[in-house]
Amino acid sequence: MDFPENLPSPDIGRLEQIVSHFFPKALHIVLDSRIPSLQSRGRTRDRSSGGLNVKKSDKWFNLIMGDRPAALDKLHSWHRNILDSMIIDIILIHPTDDDDDHGNVRSAETVIERWVVQYENPLIMSPQTSDPSTRYQKVYKKAIILLRSLYAQTRLLPAYRVSRQLSSSLASSRYEMVYKVSSFSDVFSPPVTETMKEFRFSPVEVPPGRLCASVTYRSDLSDFNLGAHITLPPRIITDYVGSPATDPMRFFPSPGQSFEATSFHFQGRAGRPPLTTSSASERPHSWTSGFHRPPTPNQSFSPDFHWSRTDGGDSHHQLSPPFSPSGSPSTPRGSYSPRINVRPGTAPVTIPSSATFNRYVSSNFSEPSRNPLPPFSPKSTRRSPSSQDSLPGIALYKSSRSGESPSGLINHYPGHKLTKDSKYDSGRFSGLLSSSGSPRFGFSRSPSRLSSDLEDPDCSCPFDFDDVDESVLQYSQSLDRRKTSSSISQSLPIGRKSQDAAVGVLVQMLKTAPPLRQDSSTYMASSMSGVQREGSSVSGAESEFSMARSTSDALEELRNYKQLKDLLLSKSKSVGGATRVH
Amino acid sequence: MNCEVCNLKELEVESFEIREVLRCILHTIVFHRALGLIRPKDIDLELFDITYVQCGEIEVEKKIDDKIEQFVTWIGKHPNKKSQICLTFYEVKTKQPSWFTNKIERLYWEQWNINLSAFQPPTKPPVGKSHHSKLVMDPGEESEDISSRRTLLEQSLQEVLFQIIKFVNEKKDHVPPINDGVIYCPFEITFPSSSDSTFGMDMLKRMLHSGGHPSMLS
Repeated sequence: MDFPENLPSPDIGRLEQIVSHFFPKALHIVLDSRIPSLQSRGRTRDRSSGGLNVKKSDKWFNLIMGDRPAALDKLHSWHRNILDSMIIDIILIHPTDDDDDHGNVRSAETVIERWVVQYENPLIMSPQTSDPSTRYQKVYKKAIILLRSLYAQTRLLPAYRVSRQLSSSLASSRYEMVYKVSSFSDVFSPPVTETMKEFRFSPVEVPPGRLCASVTYRSDLSDFNLGAHITLPPRIITDYVGSPATDPMRFFPSPGQSFEATSFHFQGRAGRPPLTTSSASERPHSWTSGFHRPPTPNQSFSPDFHWSRTDGGDSHHQLSPPFSPSGSPSTPRGSYSPRINVRPGTAPVTIPSSATFNRYVSSNFSEPSRNPLPPFSPKSTRRSPSSQDSLPGIALYKSSRSGESPSGLINHYPGHKLTKDSKYDSGRFSGLLSSSGSPRFGFSRSPSRLSSDLEDPDCSCPFDFDDVDESVLQYSQSLDRRKTSSSISQSLPIGRKSQDAAVGVLVQMLKTAPPLRQDSSTYMASSMSGVQREGSSVSGAESEFSMARSTSDALEELRNYKQLKDLLLSKSKSVGGATRVH
Repeated sequence: MNCEVCNLKELEVESFEIREVLRCILHTIVFHRALGLIRPKDIDLELFDITYVQCGEIEVEKKIDDKIEQFVTWIGKHPNKKSQICLTFYEVKTKQPSWFTNKIERLYWEQWNINLSAFQPPTKPPVGKSHHSKLVMDPGEESEDISSRRTLLEQSLQEVLFQIIKFVNEKKDHVPPINDGVIYCPFEITFPSSSDSTFGMDMLKRMLHSGGHPSMLS
């Protein structure tokens, strides 16, 4: 490509660098907002580290996106000729109504967005009137504005919401969002329907041509029934956490009675009946399908973390692009070899336990990021990569799949992202790092899944999971070990955020109340009568002192139990009333 | 070159929605004018299914929040009123000191007019009314009205954001070059204060400053 000869030679190189860096930046912005597996690391560096750790490549266009994932570099590696357009297709894989001969549900691909970035080189160069010495600065300024608006646009389009819903792990495994980057839109890409709208960004004149960007998108994604598949079917758990037959940290699905479906998007604790006192012979039943309230309100646990930003330490880079030292135009290469790197699947990962999750949750406060939830235990990949190695100019990569099962940690603010740092590099999260694979996102603690097995012995307790402090968890576990009675009533956890967690602790408390257990194998409900029996009986193997102690403890426990019950009842009523307003 | 003006579509908001709506719009505009090295920050609105972008500057956030609080206070005193919040970007120019002018002058090069129509929903009729049966139906209808109004407002807010992006794209030439060390273009936010004459005077001063300055062209 020939740049104008009347430009000073450094300007020629700078203009070309602006164009050549524009493509990967745009690619990064689009895929970062659509494909969680390609979200960047390092966007959340603290202010204390300043701008010193920002890579030079990330400073282009004054928009820090974080470290570019390797997959993006590979994607862009084939785009050597800046005259080639870059077409990014965001494709939604969704189930269709047709079934094949074997009764399997078919999947279809629909392009829901197409981003096109290209550098148009006019045949006739227009005379340049502006001052050549400041031309590249103006061009750079306009390119910055263009990318700002592109960035904002990615957040406004419907695909953004879909992407976040899918990455929040509560969608069916039959939905998937993949991307395709190519140079040829007419031959190999899925057809763009007529129902799509187009938005053209105003081009930026970069002599001798101009940088253009546009997006064609589906404005209405309701046809895919994403909302229906995100909502889980109703499940009732009858074997609750803490039942003597089970591990306290487990719970099992319940066959049988139907229950009102709990919507994915709910606030508070709607649809949950309050904890009721069971009869002497019954165990208290759990309810709902294992949904949890979002661990914290949006204000305190939201994706709108306060980004620590680089300060003016790099002020000399703010105006000027971080041009490479040579400044000479890169040699456009006539041909390019696509390097397709598609991985068929991810390594098996285990579902994190509550303690592990709490660690990640707490780490999220200290180092906020937009990374997705840890991957769920995987299934084999349904789709194998098509044989596109032989097709030039196309790279098809899997995206993050929606979680195969609903998360026990429901989160309708899908920004409950966890840090993508070394903590993820444990074996259970290795799937996350296969950037071009298809990591599953989200995690499951609930047996109420759409498409996978119900029983999962690795599921952790739903009640004390989401926002239970580790100290409380350890407390309940230590209770089990120590089996003391006096500490129970006094150290009842207060200020619990989750109703389920409160119930879990209550159940744990009931289970591990030694005096009641020693007297009989029944539960708290029966302990009421047991207390009376204790009170009335004088003789016995126990000394008078221990009897008095156990009686008073039992009474104390009973009082605490009543208070807790009232609290839970009032809370469930208030929450039930609040959610009905929506 | 004159100040570029963009009039945004009017939005009908309830008083409790003003903060979110204004924060969304103001930050979106400032993000497009924060041309220094920034780390963008995505914010999800609580009342609407919309995500907008902030430039990540603490000073910007504080300035906008302060102004929004002032505006909300003002709206509380002037309920059910249409109002316009102006976000203007300016350049600071030093002039020769003279008898009548200050040394530092602001040259406004862009003005955004955010039009809001704040209203308060009607209160429920007292229990003593005779239409008892109608009262029973009202909560259901009211919630439907609320949700439909909320949906409409969400769509309108999205249209406003699209409008901002469109305007930012179409007009780039008037944006002044960013100086070293400056992250965002200096701006100010004004709205009709308790004294309408003060607001008018502010507008007049702005027009005098912004008009007829060929040096704005860059």
